[in-house]
Formats: sequence, C-alpha cells, structure tokens
Amino acid sequence: MALLMLPLLLYVIFAFGPSVATVFFSFTNATGLPGAEWHFVGFKNYDRLFNSSDQAERFRSIRNSLQFAFLVVLVQNVVGLFMALLVNRKLRADSFIRATYFLPVVLGVTVSGLVWRMMMNPLGGPLTELFKKLHLDTGFLSSYGASFEWVIFVQIWMYMGYSMTIFLAGLQSIPKDLYDAAYIDGTSRWQAFRHVTFPMIAPSTTVNLLLSIIGALQTFDIIYVLTNGGFNTRTLAFDIYRDAIANNTTADYGLASAGAMVLFLFVFAIALVSLVALRRREVDL
Amino acid sequence: MLKKVTGLLMAIVMVVVLAACGGGNDDKASSNSPSASSPASNSAEPSKEAPAEKVTLKIIHWINEPVNKYYEEFNKKFTERYPNITVDYQVVPSDATYDQLQQTRINANDTDLLALKSGFAPIPQEWAAGAQDPLWKQWIDTGLIADLSNEEFVKSYNPVDVQNSTTYNGKVYGINMGKVAFSGLYYNKKIFADNNLKVPTTWDEFKGVVDALKAKDVTPLGFAGKDIWPYNLAVQGLSASVIKDQGEFIKGLWTGSTKFTDANALEVLEKAQYLLQNSIDGVMGIDYASLPSLFASGKVAMIADGTWNAPTLKGLDPTLEFGYFPIPGSNDAAQNGSLAGKYDMSWMVLEKSKNKDAALKWLAMQSEPENYAAFAKASGFLPTQNVQVEDPFINEISPYLANFKLAWDQLFINRQNAGEHVSGSSVHAEFLSPAGPIKTPKELAELSQKEWDAAK
Repeated sequence: MALLMLPLLLYVIFAFGPSVATVFFSFTNATGLPGAEWHFVGFKNYDRLFNSSDQAERFRSIRNSLQFAFLVVLVQNVVGLFMALLVNRKLRADSFIRATYFLPVVLGVTVSGLVWRMMMNPLGGPLTELFKKLHLDTGFLSSYGASFEWVIFVQIWMYMGYSMTIFLAGLQSIPKDLYDAAYIDGTSRWQAFRHVTFPMIAPSTTVNLLLSIIGALQTFDIIYVLTNGGFNTRTLAFDIYRDAIANNTTADYGLASAGAMVLFLFVFAIALVSLVALRRREVDL
Repeated sequence: MLKKVTGLLMAIVMVVVLAACGGGNDDKASSNSPSASSPASNSAEPSKEAPAEKVTLKIIHWINEPVNKYYEEFNKKFTERYPNITVDYQVVPSDATYDQLQQTRINANDTDLLALKSGFAPIPQEWAAGAQDPLWKQWIDTGLIADLSNEEFVKSYNPVDVQNSTTYNGKVYGINMGKVAFSGLYYNKKIFADNNLKVPTTWDEFKGVVDALKAKDVTPLGFAGKDIWPYNLAVQGLSASVIKDQGEFIKGLWTGSTKFTDANALEVLEKAQYLLQNSIDGVMGIDYASLPSLFASGKVAMIADGTWNAPTLKGLDPTLEFGYFPIPGSNDAAQNGSLAGKYDMSWMVLEKSKNKDAALKWLAMQSEPENYAAFAKASGFLPTQNVQVEDPFINEISPYLANFKLAWDQLFINRQNAGEHVSGSSVHAEFLSPAGPIKTPKELAELSQKEWDAAK
C-alpha cells in the first residue's frame, strides 16, 4: 500500500494537482504576484483569447500549431521509417550510423537550436554562404515568410532519430520466416514491405504517431531557442509561455491558463481520434 | 479506504497548489510601511560591529560585461568590509530570460536585490484609463518593494533624478544608477574620414552620407534586427526628432486627437523604412550580441545602439575610433540637436527580504561617491550623482545631452490586448519591407490605427 501511495502522492502533487489548478486559474485574473488581489472572472479569459484586438494573432498561433503538428508528424515519421529501413541491415558501421542519426535527440533542444542558428547566421553561417552561392533566399529564421518552415525543419531533424529508433525496434521484431515465405511465393521487395513489414510494425507506427502528435502540438522550446516567437512563429503553446511569463507588462496566469485549457482540448481531441483510428487499423491488419 | 486516502490527498494538494499560486491582501498593509529594522544611519555607515550571523546577499542582474566586471570587483570590496556577508551575484541574458528570472524570484521572495531595467516609466496617467499598470507599480502596490525614502544614501543622488526616476506616490522605491541615450547612431570615424564625410545634422544630409557610402561600396547601416528592439531604437530616434511633442501625441492617441496615420507618424515610418533599405544584407537575422563585433570589424559604417554599449565597443577594439550622433529625422537641424533616452538600471530592495539590512548596506556602499564614479565610468551611464566622470565618449556627446528628453518607449502607454503592430512599447516598423511583409508605411499606419481602435 505504501509503495503505491508514494508514487501516487508524487503524481498528484506534481502533475494532477497543478493540472486541476490550471482549470481553476483559467477562470480568474490571477497574476501570481504575492499579495496581489485576484478574483473569479467567469469566461472572460476565454473571451479575451478569441475576441480581442489581437485575435488575428491568436488564430494564427492555432493555425501554426496545427500546421506544425501535421508537417512534423508526417515528415518525421516517413523519414524515420525510411532511415530505420536503411539501418536495419548488416552494415559495417551500423552502430555508428544509428548513433549518429540519434545524436540530435541526445544533444537536446538548446544545443541543436544553437547549432542551427549558427548554421543560418547571416554573417558567415555555412548554410547562408551555401544558399548565397546557389542564389537562394537566405532569410532563414528572420523571414516572416519562411522562418516557421525552418523551425519545422529543425524540429524534424532533431527527432527523426527518435522515430527511427522506435521503427527499428519494430522492424527487428519481425520474424524472418515471414519474409522467406513471401519471397518463395515470388513477392517483390515493395510487396514485402507493403504486405509484411508495414502491417507488422503497426504497433511501432501507433506509438510513433501518437508521441509525435502530442509532442508537436505542445512544442515550445525549439521556437523559443530559434526565433523567440518572432517572425510569425508563435504557436498556441508558445502563447501560453508568453502570457504567463514573457510578457513584459505583467504575468497573466488567468489568460495563460485559459490558453493551456484550449491547447489541452486540441491535444486530447486529436490524440484520441488518432488513437482510435490507429488501434482500429492495427486490428484490421 | 483507497478512495478516502485519495480524496484526502487531493484536498491537501489543492490547498498547497492554490496557496502557492494565489495570494491574499493580508501582507499588503504591513509591507508598505518603511523598514523599521534598518534606520538610515545604520545602512549608510560601515558596520563597526559586524553581526555574528553569516548571511548570503542574493542579487540578480543581467549580462552587460563591463558592468558585470565592475560589480564583481565591487562585491569583493564589499565582502572585505563586511566579512559576514557573502554576495551571490547572478547574471542572465538581458532579454526575456531576465524578465522571467525577475518575476519568479519576486514571486518566491528568493532575492534580496534586483535590478529594474529602467526608472519608473511609463508613469500611469488618468487619460489612459484601462491601461495595464507597469510591473514596478504592481510590485509597489502589493508591498513587495522596500521604501528607501528615509535612507541616508538616497541623498547622494541628484534630487531631480531621484524624483524623476524612482519616486512613486511621494516615496523613493529604488536607486537609479544613471541615464542612457539611445536615439543616436554610432559611426566609424575612420570610414567617415576616408570618405570625407561629416556628421549629418539634417535628414537630407544623412541621406547624402548614405548615398556617398553606397557609392564607395561601403554598407551604410547595421541593426540587430533579430531581436527587433535594437532596430526600434533607431525608429525611436526618428520619432524623437520628427514628432515635436511625443507626450502630447501619445495623449492624443488615447483621447482621439492624434492618429498613427497622422503625417508626422507616417513620416517616421517612411524614414524607418529607408533605414532598412540601406542596411546590411540579412539585417533581420543579426542578433544583438553580434552587433558590436559587426561594427568593430568595419563591415558597416553606422549602427543603432544605446550609449551603454560604448564601453563594450572600446573593449572589443581599443584602437577603434567611433562617435555618436542623434539620428537627424527632421530637416530642421534644431529638432535633431538632442538625444533621447531613459533612466537606465534601478536597484530595488525586496521588502520581505531576509537580508534587507545587508541589501541596504550594499546600496549604501554602492552610493559612496568613489564607488558610484567607478560604476559610471564602467557603465557609460550619464551620472545621477553629482560626480565628475572623465570619459572622452561622454564628453564628446555632451552637447547632445543638454536638452536630454525621454524616448517614446518611456512615454507610451499601451492599451491592453493591442494587436502586434502596436503591441508593447514601440512603433513596429520592422513589419515594413524589406524586413517584413507590409509594403508601404501607409498600410502599416492604417493597420496600427485599426488595432489601436479595436483595443479600446
């Protein structure tokens, strides 16, 4: 009983409790300042989110969140699967290659972000110089038109190794007999992938897709490091940080909590629909 | 059983979480009163009888290398004088990182002294009904900041500066360390001399300088566009010289007698766009940390920055010859003759600090004329004490300081939830092409006015 209570207590204090408090604060005008008065304001914070003079930016943040999630989930998993297929064979330096692909995950967001900021530095960054030679746009992270796509690119670069690892685990659990039987029946490589590999890694696909959907919708850190939300790169998750902490006039915990609730509803709805669809697909396969 | 225990746990957690995040008014009444534990006479004089108790004085500040170096030396001297006090001096980048640290430390009462990025500005005005109170006012109103009115060391500073920088409701809540100007451009004297150029005093002369530099394949201007605010310093410089009375213009925005689409506001945007059009390639990707080295390398002839960065430029290359002049936004030289800026860093003591006495001793020692003079020299600030600082750079720009005025961001009071084109405290010319997506100043001005009206 005691063994059960300790983790439960920790969970309730550090996860469930603050989550419930967020619901509560989304109906108040709390600022977090010790001694400052706060009151219940009903749905005013939700109204401010979507019905203020900055509503165009709020809606852009939501659109950015959805675009970010869609592109990251799609490209990261396709590339991750492709890489997993490449390294799932006997190669001379297979461990080294796998470790290299996984390295950005180990480096973490801050280091990866700074590496790419240096790569794209307008004053002599290697990528800037290359693009200049190719007569391509070098706006990168300071372009209102393209910086969000570059943030997405860096996010995918960072986590494709993670997806690759999960797919690789799935690929290595497929019995070889299945391939032997398929090839005896005269199947092609594509057909083997389509009818053997892909169905057999369905659980890995489900895990990868769910993790990347939830992770992408909540992404805030890489945006903070690369653009600090400038150049139209704010997302719903970044707005929560901005409202709660990075607003230089005041900390608006009420508004930030309302934003967090909206984000939660998005994540919950999209993750739930995806989970149901993916589970059904697993059963069908 | 499990249900009961879980229910009890939930109740405890909710009480803990809500108590931690919220706050009542119980502390308010008591905390606004001046400190009785640290009379002025005690804090200004070195302690003869050092208390036995060892304390750690926590100070938070932002990164500014010359100033940080000064404080590291000063803190050593301080601990020599007060051996029982250890100073924990923490610095972080001056961007949102510092704002974040400031907020969390105040909320947790986990610092004794903190540096405010400016004096008390903008001052709340009755014509700006519904505007959000600035942070410093919220802190004072909730009793978080110590009243320093009766401290002896306050008298070391010029009364006018104390009044204008850190006085609120007749009480002094901070020590302002000096003024800075930021409405000018640094220029490379060698590049100007090599091209027979003089410091421009009107807009037309300025355009002449830009054209002459371009004709010699010299990039005229550099800005730290990535961080936005450094470019906006230049825009504020234009505003200070084009809009004759910025205070009245801002009041008019609230009362309806002026608009962002007025001819003078539009002129500011047009000239701001000109600056962008004549700046280095990739200007919006350059961060503030890279700006001094960009200028010192001679890749650009002029940069927009505050006078606070002169010590950094000198430190980068002691042989670099540079000067500073107000951006001449107007064609009337008289309107361009003075610099605009702000009261810079102000030290504040937390009312509920556990080491308030030590914090006051630190401020008292900092305020001693020789220590303050050393600070003013290191920081490049224009002194708020009556001390002489021999600094060739300050001497050179002193003619521009005779009619020093407050810049736009020190005067502008914004409406809540204003759209991004009028958000914060700046005019947002960075949205103009070639940096941003808006093609003409007129479009940006109309959009700004629309968002301003919608934020009523």
